[in-house]
Amino acid sequence: MEDREAVLFEPIEETGRGFYRALAILVPILAVAMLALGRQLVLGLKVTGLNRPVYWGMYITNFVFFIGISHAGTLVSAILRVFGAEWRRPITRMAEAITVFALILGTGSIMIDMGRPDRLLNILRYARFESPLVWDVTSVTIYLTASLTYLFLPLIPDLAILRDRPGLSAWRHWLYAKLSLGWTGTQKQKHRLERLISIMAVLIIPIAVSVHTVVSWVFAMTVQPMWHSTIFGPYFVIGAIFSGIATLIIVMALVRRAYRLHAYITPMHFSNLGLLLLIFSFLWAYFTFSEYLTEFYGNEPAGMRVLFAKLTEEFSPIFWAMWVFNFIVPFIVLSNRRTRTIAGTVIVSILVNVGMWLERFSIVVPTLTRPRLPTPDASYAPTWVEWSILVGSIAVFALLYILFSKVFPIISIWEVREGEEIAARQASPTHTAEAAAD
Amino acid sequence: MKLPRRDFLKLTAAGSGATAIGAKLAKPFFETAPPQERPRYTEQWLPTICLMCPGGCGILVRTVNGRAVKVEGNPLHPVNTGKVCPKANASLQVLYDPDRIRGPMRRVGERGAGEWQPIGWDEAISFVADRLATTRQKLGAPTLAFVSGRVRGQMAGVIERFLAAYGSPNHIQHDSLSVDGERIANELTFGHRTQLAYDWENCDFVLSFGRAFLEASRPTVRQIRAFGHMRRDRPNHRAKFVQIDTRFSITAAKADEWIPIRPGTDGALALGLANVIIAEGLYDADFVRKHTFGFEDWSDSSGVSHTGFRSHVLHNYHPVQVEALTEVPAETIVRLAREFAGTQPAIAAGGRGVSIHSNGLSNWMAIQSLNALVGSIEIPGGVMIQNRPPYAKWPELPSDPTAEARRNVPRIDAAGSSHFPFAGSVYQRLAQSILDSDPYPLTALFLYYTNPLFSSPDVGRLYEAIVKVPFIVSFSPFLDDSSALADLILPDHTFLERLQDDEIEPSTGYAVLGLRQPVVKPLFDTRDTGNVLIQIAHAMGGPMEAAFPWKDFSEIIQYRLSGLWASQRGSIRTSDFGHFWNELTSESVWHDAPYSFGQWGRVFGTPSGKFEFYSQALESRLIQLQGERGWDDWLDELGISARGDAVFMPHFEPPRFVGDEAEYPFYLNTYKLMTHAEGRGANSPWLQEMLGQHVKQRWKVWVEINPQTAERLGIAEDDWVWIESPLNERIKLHAVLYPGARPDTVNIPFEQGHRAYGRWAEGRGENPNWLIGSESDSLTGIAAWSATRVKVYKA
Amino acid sequence: MPRWGMVIDLDRCAACQACTAACRAENNVPFSGPEESEMGRAIFWHEVLSEVEGEYPNVRGSFIPRPCMHCENPPCVRVCPVGATYLSDEGLVLQRYERCIGCRYCMVACPYAARYFNWGAPDFPEGMQRYLNPDVPIRPKGIVEKCTFCNHRLPVPACNQACPANARTFGDLDDPDSVVSKLARSPRAFRLLEDLGTEPKVYYLREGA
Ligand SMILES: Nc1nc2c(c(=O)[nH]1)N[C@H]1C(S)=C(S)[C@@H](COP(=O)(O)OP(=O)(O)OC[C@H]3O[C@@H](n4cnc5c(=O)[nH]c(N)nc54)[C@H](O)[C@@H]3O)O[C@H]1N2
Ligand SMILES: Nc1nc2c(c(=O)[nH]1)N[C@H]1C(S)=C(S)[C@@H](COP(=O)(O)OP(=O)(O)OC[C@H]3O[C@@H](n4cnc5c(=O)[nH]c(N)nc54)[C@H](O)[C@@H]3O)O[C@H]1N2
Ligand code: SF4
Ligand code: SF4
Ligand code: SF4
Ligand code: SF4
Ligand code: SF4
Ligand SMILES: [Mo]
Repeated sequence: MEDREAVLFEPIEETGRGFYRALAILVPILAVAMLALGRQLVLGLKVTGLNRPVYWGMYITNFVFFIGISHAGTLVSAILRVFGAEWRRPITRMAEAITVFALILGTGSIMIDMGRPDRLLNILRYARFESPLVWDVTSVTIYLTASLTYLFLPLIPDLAILRDRPGLSAWRHWLYAKLSLGWTGTQKQKHRLERLISIMAVLIIPIAVSVHTVVSWVFAMTVQPMWHSTIFGPYFVIGAIFSGIATLIIVMALVRRAYRLHAYITPMHFSNLGLLLLIFSFLWAYFTFSEYLTEFYGNEPAGMRVLFAKLTEEFSPIFWAMWVFNFIVPFIVLSNRRTRTIAGTVIVSILVNVGMWLERFSIVVPTLTRPRLPTPDASYAPTWVEWSILVGSIAVFALLYILFSKVFPIISIWEVREGEEIAARQASPTHTAEAAAD
Repeated sequence: MKLPRRDFLKLTAAGSGATAIGAKLAKPFFETAPPQERPRYTEQWLPTICLMCPGGCGILVRTVNGRAVKVEGNPLHPVNTGKVCPKANASLQVLYDPDRIRGPMRRVGERGAGEWQPIGWDEAISFVADRLATTRQKLGAPTLAFVSGRVRGQMAGVIERFLAAYGSPNHIQHDSLSVDGERIANELTFGHRTQLAYDWENCDFVLSFGRAFLEASRPTVRQIRAFGHMRRDRPNHRAKFVQIDTRFSITAAKADEWIPIRPGTDGALALGLANVIIAEGLYDADFVRKHTFGFEDWSDSSGVSHTGFRSHVLHNYHPVQVEALTEVPAETIVRLAREFAGTQPAIAAGGRGVSIHSNGLSNWMAIQSLNALVGSIEIPGGVMIQNRPPYAKWPELPSDPTAEARRNVPRIDAAGSSHFPFAGSVYQRLAQSILDSDPYPLTALFLYYTNPLFSSPDVGRLYEAIVKVPFIVSFSPFLDDSSALADLILPDHTFLERLQDDEIEPSTGYAVLGLRQPVVKPLFDTRDTGNVLIQIAHAMGGPMEAAFPWKDFSEIIQYRLSGLWASQRGSIRTSDFGHFWNELTSESVWHDAPYSFGQWGRVFGTPSGKFEFYSQALESRLIQLQGERGWDDWLDELGISARGDAVFMPHFEPPRFVGDEAEYPFYLNTYKLMTHAEGRGANSPWLQEMLGQHVKQRWKVWVEINPQTAERLGIAEDDWVWIESPLNERIKLHAVLYPGARPDTVNIPFEQGHRAYGRWAEGRGENPNWLIGSESDSLTGIAAWSATRVKVYKA
Repeated sequence: MPRWGMVIDLDRCAACQACTAACRAENNVPFSGPEESEMGRAIFWHEVLSEVEGEYPNVRGSFIPRPCMHCENPPCVRVCPVGATYLSDEGLVLQRYERCIGCRYCMVACPYAARYFNWGAPDFPEGMQRYLNPDVPIRPKGIVEKCTFCNHRLPVPACNQACPANARTFGDLDDPDSVVSKLARSPRAFRLLEDLGTEPKVYYLREGA
């Protein structure tokens, strides 16, 4: 068992060529993004493609997208935990980390979108609770706190393991000692931790749902055509989980490869999550269809202009690509056991993420290009600054993830051990009885 | 509503009081200057006269610590009564234009290379004086031409006096590009060479022919004000407004009806309407009998019988015939005629659009004949004869035989000759005259307030010509297209920095004279051109100096305006001229008593003393200039196809076009936008940024094409297209698909395409005047702007 | 306390844009230049909206002068996270420039597109600062601005003062005898996008007899 587990400690204990190769790719990307951001801070948002009336564009799309992805995580892991899905054990940590980093990027996107990021604190100083944006700030803050806690709690036993592991550098030892909060693994501690985790798991589900609901309300609370929709809450949540699962699949594949975790992350995981992805693809398609059909049938002129902007006019490539990526391809690949392989699910997941980004874009932008009152023809083409910041955000995500995995075990060691124990016990009937007596 | 003028000062004071209260009410905490920290400043509202266009509106300029910050209307000014158009505020950007010329400059490099050297005023003035003095001594012909545009008030007199004293007849005004056609038509029908005034406020039906009533046609603010008044100020009484135009202008859009007429056929339409009015007996028989000449068939003193207007029209202009010419359906003609004659009072008003064709004169005369038919002359709600202020007479010029001989030679632009019998100036002829040295070579060209290398037709040829003139002086404060080729620039003050009187023609019928006054100290080392001309004359000495016995331009203005004081009429009456001047400077406007109708003695200045359907002046002038030619040859030479009595009556003369229909299938129409301050607004970012509201275009030139036509040509919205004319010139423009364009006509706004003028004016696109041929109405000398055909294809 | 409102008579209006120009001069509205303008970033607190439609020769044009509607139920105010835009006691919808964080939520929420963002720093080239009105602050980069109903010069907004057609009236809607409130009750009166429930305080009078 020790042998098998060595691979879990490897990223922490050794730094290989792969790490530097990753840095070599990420650092230049980040440099360009920083340049872009700097330019924007100095010159203002005129360096973007934003204009009147397309006041919101890529940054807000990124915001919705990243907040969506953050659902990967916590929500997936919490649901699986609550339903006691055993196969979850090696992937919960991975999922929870996605949540935290995606949330940071989502918040960052909003800050980048602000004309006056220097006045960020005004949101606290003058918060007006009538504004959906303040609901957003509140719910995202709660969600971030909750998911950090939810990431941290199951980390404690692992931190203690690391603290007790010989051969780690002094700073690490110090860090793990501090963070493990004196965990010794007593029954009492274990009990308390498990209680806390299950409470958090239950709590975090409504919080996560609320976050994306509130994000959708930022749009739905206005009277703008194709935003003012009652199903936007669930519609956004479905989309969020959908892209969250897809992100999790991609991250799993990458981590599995990078850290050779084939023993822990197995085709079964991909197949199971692939199925989940398929279910959400159906849900997404159902919501999207209802949303557009209602709009179409209502035949309200302002809405129709936006609708046709998407169906047949300048946004139609995006709109139809979104259908292909989010529904057609996932349906074909995932509904077939033979193609629901690691490669299959990963490809689909990449497409789903692109598709969901396009979906966010085609919610945010087309409505703004078709204001009710006549204005000069509106169009929006993101500039290099915005593209760099999008790519840079993905790079930041990757970097944070890599660094996280260099400091903390990316697979929850104690939970996996626990799972193995349970499996072993299940194998011998006496142990089962014992466990039942607990 | 008219404010009694004594309340004027009170009103300005109240204005600033309101501002102060307003400042206190400003609630938000201002980031840059919180109210309590706002700097104290001294504020003044100074009255002056706008000159963004020739409308002559009175304005109040708000100054703060000596800087001009806002323009509002002067409520005492009867033309605009406290209101302004968008160009007025843009004058702040003219005044503070960073590209203004900062002092006199002399060319040092090649012509047009843009290398200049600053030069002192004294040196510059003696340089010009010497140069003029030597050519005057050496050469036998009047070799100086003074080309001018916005000459206002006494400037025209100063320039003319300067030329007369120097010995040159060549004051070439831009009016042949502009409104001279209207003036000449009025001369031939009413006997007054002036633009007419109209009593819009009391009118119930306006039939506007090619008059950009709400966009350009002057005085614009008065017309817009009247438009609102006609529609809504009279309870249960809303005038009908019909716009006849070759494009769907803003005026057409706001009108109750748009008649999209085929270019150059307004005369036919007017005569078609006259036909119905006469045939159905709808005309004002009493008026026609008392006040018109040539309606019924008649015999002259030598017993020759002549066709009257009645038979002429009944015979030739049946609505069905007119429909074929104008594309206006015969039923529409009949209906409009009945409405026009059936609504009293009604005005038929022409605009530049009808006179900018080879047949312009006759189009205008036809439109005026409608007013005569329904008796809409000299009645409330009808046509008024614009009165002029009673100036003191210019003193006689000192006798100088050299100058006298020279100023009576033929003009270089052939105005008034047998080429252009009625023309006062033929600005567009300049290129040909210079190139052919016809009738003599030009050795000096002065440019004042006009930009021929931008505003003339066939600009390309003028470029070739103008470089041949050895000495060019520009008085412009801006380095425009023409000044860029000058040898010497003697920059004028801009209009907010100078003193100048401003007679408004046409205005309210009664005389209105505005006084333009400096509202800020001159920003740069510029000088009023009026003063500069006087200084040059003084420097030349002799008869030139003697011709200007005044210290400066201000003295001339005061001298001429002393006649207003002496007349003891109008809004300012004082015991002595000093007080008159004081009041005039504090109000910036003098106006006569309201128009009194029915003064028939002054209404018609024609040989018959009546409105002439048959123009005797036209007849006698043509006979006078006929010389040895046979009559038919003479008419052919003038491009008149009519024969018999019709020649002297309003008739439809088929318009000539440059370019044949097969190769150049489209009429080219250039028009003015409200945001177009002649060529002078092009460097104002404000005007540029709100340029073409009807097509949502800004900061550029475009061409409006009918969407079906465009589809046929494979042109989509915003495509680049070439417009090519028979001059072998083409320009590339953005296509705008505009349902208000006729399928056979393309419209280009005339405003953009400056090669020089300033950072915002340059690089905006191309000037359509490179395409437009130098065709004219030979009787009036008016440039036939709408007479060029073009082809259009995708770039 | 007055409740300020405006009436614009479309039958009088000549679509001349004197109102737009006067507003720009009065309120130190910067110009944006050709490139930024082409991008749709020009700032116009007041704008004349236009639409020309139809097929030759049956063409219709409509021109609607559009200041801020100073909605009684303003969607922009409702969404602002920091109260940088607010409805004043006198019914004016105003901006606190120093508080605005530039999120542009208010712009997205305003159905009249009456709000404008400073995409870059306002530019008044060489010497053009001289025409700035000292009563109105210059807005920095990154914040939103809009028509204030000229609250620094109540009760005569600059746009109304200029209007050559006398198409615009301003005054207290709560005073039943004021000209605005009388006109607002005219059978020709309507408001833009009335069904959205924003309760604009700018009324229009329909064109035609
Ligand atoms: N805003 C603004 N106002 C101005 C000026 C300016 O530059 N800007 N300039 C001033 C000057 S200098 C002048 S001369 C006046 C001129 O003012 P107007 O006399 O009104 O002349 P244009 O504006 O040239 O308008 C000509 C109109 O005639 C139409 N047109 C062209 N050809 C024909 C035709 O064959 N038949 C008919 N029926 N219509 C035709 C054009 O489409 C256009 O609408 O405006 C003055 N006012
Ligand atoms: N295609 C086409 N061409 C047209 C027309 C058209 O409708 N279509 N319209 C025609 C008409 S009606 C007219 S009136 C002409 C107008 O054409 P122009 O007579 O050329 O008048 P602007 O273009 O206003 O040019 C005036 C020049 O005066 C100078 N200037 C500006 N301010 C001052 C000042 O304060 N003092 C002095 N001394 N100079 C100053 C500037 O250099 C400017 O270039 O254009 C004509 N050209
Ligand atoms: S109409 Fe002409 S004179 Fe009157 S305000 Fe406008 S630009 Fe000035
Ligand atoms: S028009 Fe727009 S900006 Fe003005 S109050 Fe209404 S919602 Fe707000
Ligand atoms: S941009 Fe400014 S005013 Fe608008 S919602 Fe955001 S903070 Fe409020
Ligand atoms: S009320 Fe004042 S701020 Fe509003 S549009 Fe009119 S001029 Fe501009
Ligand atoms: S100023 Fe008056 S007439 Fe001109 S566009 Fe504005 S509201 Fe209409
Ligand atoms: Mo003109």
